[in-house]
Amino acid sequence: MNHDHHNNQHENGSEETSRPLSPWLVGAFMLALCWGGFYLAFNSGGFRQDVYESNAVNWAGGGVAAAAPVDPKVVGKRLYNQNCVVCHQASGMGVAGQFPPLVGSEYVLAEGNMGDNHLVMLVLNGLQGHFMVKGQAYNNAMVPWKQLSDEQIADILTYIRSDWGNNAPPITPDFVAQIRKETASATDSYTQEQLMAMPAMKPAASQGSAPAKK
Amino acid sequence: MHRLPTLLSGIFLVFLTSWLGLVAYPSLQLGRLTPVADADNGGSLPPTYGGQAIAGQRIYATEGCISCHSQQVRQTSITTSDVDRGWGVRPSVARDYLRDSTAFLGSRRLGQDLSNVGVRRPDAKWHFIHLYHPSAVCEGSLMPCFSDLFLVRKIQGQKSDDALNLTGEDAPKDGYEVIPTADAKNLVAYLLSLRHDYPLPEAPVKKNGAAK
Amino acid sequence: MSDHTLPHHQHESGYPPVDSKAIDASVRLPVIILFGNAIHWLVVAALLSLVVSIKLIAPGFLGGISFLNYGRLAPMARDLMLYGWASQAALGAGVWLMARLCGQPLGGGDGQGIGGMLLRTLIISATVLWNLAVLLGTLAIFAGYSTGVEWLEYPGWASAMLLLSFLLIGIWAVLLFDRRSTGRAEVAQWYLVAAFCWFPWVYGTANLLLVWKPIQASAQGPIQSWYCGSLLALWLLPVALASAYALLPRLLGNHLNRRHLATLGFWMLLLLGGWNGMDRLIGGPVPAWMTSAGVVAGVLFLIPLFMISINLLGMVRKRAIVAGSISCRFLLMGLYALITVGVIGAIASLPDVSGAVRFTAFTEAKTQLWILGAISLPLFGLLYESLPQLLGRDCWSPVLSGRHYILTLVGLGMLVTLMLLGGLFTGLALADPTVSFLNITSYSYPFHVMECVAQLLLLIAALILGANITIALAGDYLLNKKTGK
Repeated sequence: MNHDHHNNQHENGSEETSRPLSPWLVGAFMLALCWGGFYLAFNSGGFRQDVYESNAVNWAGGGVAAAAPVDPKVVGKRLYNQNCVVCHQASGMGVAGQFPPLVGSEYVLAEGNMGDNHLVMLVLNGLQGHFMVKGQAYNNAMVPWKQLSDEQIADILTYIRSDWGNNAPPITPDFVAQIRKETASATDSYTQEQLMAMPAMKPAASQGSAPAKK
Repeated sequence: MHRLPTLLSGIFLVFLTSWLGLVAYPSLQLGRLTPVADADNGGSLPPTYGGQAIAGQRIYATEGCISCHSQQVRQTSITTSDVDRGWGVRPSVARDYLRDSTAFLGSRRLGQDLSNVGVRRPDAKWHFIHLYHPSAVCEGSLMPCFSDLFLVRKIQGQKSDDALNLTGEDAPKDGYEVIPTADAKNLVAYLLSLRHDYPLPEAPVKKNGAAK
Repeated sequence: MSDHTLPHHQHESGYPPVDSKAIDASVRLPVIILFGNAIHWLVVAALLSLVVSIKLIAPGFLGGISFLNYGRLAPMARDLMLYGWASQAALGAGVWLMARLCGQPLGGGDGQGIGGMLLRTLIISATVLWNLAVLLGTLAIFAGYSTGVEWLEYPGWASAMLLLSFLLIGIWAVLLFDRRSTGRAEVAQWYLVAAFCWFPWVYGTANLLLVWKPIQASAQGPIQSWYCGSLLALWLLPVALASAYALLPRLLGNHLNRRHLATLGFWMLLLLGGWNGMDRLIGGPVPAWMTSAGVVAGVLFLIPLFMISINLLGMVRKRAIVAGSISCRFLLMGLYALITVGVIGAIASLPDVSGAVRFTAFTEAKTQLWILGAISLPLFGLLYESLPQLLGRDCWSPVLSGRHYILTLVGLGMLVTLMLLGGLFTGLALADPTVSFLNITSYSYPFHVMECVAQLLLLIAALILGANITIALAGDYLLNKKTGK
């Protein structure tokens, strides 16, 4: 149809391009884009997958990430299952006569002559020879766990201090780091005597609060 | 803009932005989430579904429950009404849907949100009666009867344990009983397993001290 | 071809100076099959929508029969609207417009000979395949095989059929652009190329990740939202806009006088269109950045819609022409609907508003206005313009066309207004936890009743359109008989 409008096409083209954009439109357009950029920047939570509260965090980080840290007990339990469960069992009861229990253990809970530092030391450097746990005698060796990081050891210890009815304050990674530094020269696993020769650092001293169970 | 390759390249690049931003990147971010250990009982979170509940998901899909029911407690930074209404103790997060084959997020709430229905309504018998005749337990409900998920049959010998305890005009004739089919049982098992009330690293449960 | 004069064709036409008769002949059958089937699916979808809305005021209506439950009928109605009607009409519109604007018969060359015949057979088979997929997919939902993924409820094999059918048709439409004989490309052609390239990508990706080989469900939310937004904004809307860009200058006898604006609008729409579905994620179980991106995308999406609308509406000079052309009136109403969609979308994306009205009828109103307004109205406009040209005669009954126009607008306006108001009330009530949910349900009862009336009007409108096209096509058949064919 309508074969007579060949020219129209060309006129179309030239006229279409002649009108420039209105400066108002361009201005409004840029403003809107700016707003979009800023809004996203301040409400994106750093594009992290674990930040859900859009108004709680900005690019500087912190915020929610600090408010909702990973639960050391959850991580600690996983690490416990990977490293410790073979001897001490999932129940924390150990094996009678061979591997001492962690449930109610004075080593774990830092009761009696024991302190937080003793627990960290024996995990870092191991334990050997004859020792008593909950009035039972054992004669065995625990290997050193130096290869685990401060954080991992802290998580495991925090976990074993809070499960199975145990109720002792958490161990911080900083504390593990401090002990690791202090005992860096130790080359051999401790015996109970060597361990007990060191002054106990009570949870009360290191945590600023009394142990829950006495 | 006048040659196909030029136009196509432009179109391709522009489209790529939303595809990368909304399909590829989220798939990498959220498609690789893993369950976390449950400190309380040695299991993992979110909890796994039982076999019946997995089968029940299919019924949920084919009956189109998603047309009226959402499964998400919204972020409290947007609205607190979901939590205030008791539809959940904390906002839902992506990890909550790990065990689903399809995320039934929903887009309309003609009925109540179901993300925590297993916590809110833990009684299977209630669900059976509600599915059979919603108005019998929820006066004024818009929900249709799913009576074809049930069988009306003659009582043979003793009344079945599964038989619905119906009263009034819903009650079957004397000597008959209403029992749920396997589909109904699966669907209810699925509904009972719907819960987002456990703590996750990115979604701690604040108020409820017991679920620490 | 120039022996017939359409009522509104006294003005100059800018169709490319090519043998439009041969072009129309090459696409006539597939396009008419697509349009005819699209309209019959529209009627079915409107009927189902009415039944669905009746079920909201009388839950027992057609109750107790599993395959007539709300949960099955509602997705059937929505999918028929999307794939049976809108996508199919968009396919027909796209093929016709592309062939016309490129000045090439479908398949290139003169469309004659064995090659041309084979190609036509292939394309006609593809149109049949499309309708078979829609039919079987719908029946599958009916029979309880729905996937439960919103807007992708068809089982995997049905969606694979749809995709295959689209590729068989779409590839020729894109190739037409490369072989065009008309030199400089029009704005409408950009939109068509974009739309035809994107549907396979959008539909294929979404089906792959949600239906065929579902990704871990924690990542499905963003993909669902992306799909819903992209299907509307990157496939259906571009075709509707192509219709407006192609037809309005010719119908109005005017030129598109701001090509810069058209260019900017085009690229902005493409850039933001894919993000536009993100408003479905605001506050949802997704990281904060997705919620925020949803807010930004929902608000910024107003820009391209606004640009495109003022670009096109700027051509309207003589009201008389608009009043005289049903096609023109539909196209312009479609643009007004588009601006409204943009405004509603931007408002509903603001965090506080979204917190209140999301999951209520408010968001449903936006979806309805998208599908039935911004997309369907321009497609109606194109249909009224194209069929007389394809058939080579003035085929529409002016009375029926006028009724269809009025009823569609009244029905749609009523439906959207009611849903917006109803959604607002529900949203405000939901914010108060002391108001029980069942109480809120009873508040919305009057709105649901009025929505039924609106759906009834839309059904009557669809039936009138169906009658109109039936008469138009049957007239063709009778005419052929008389001339002894």
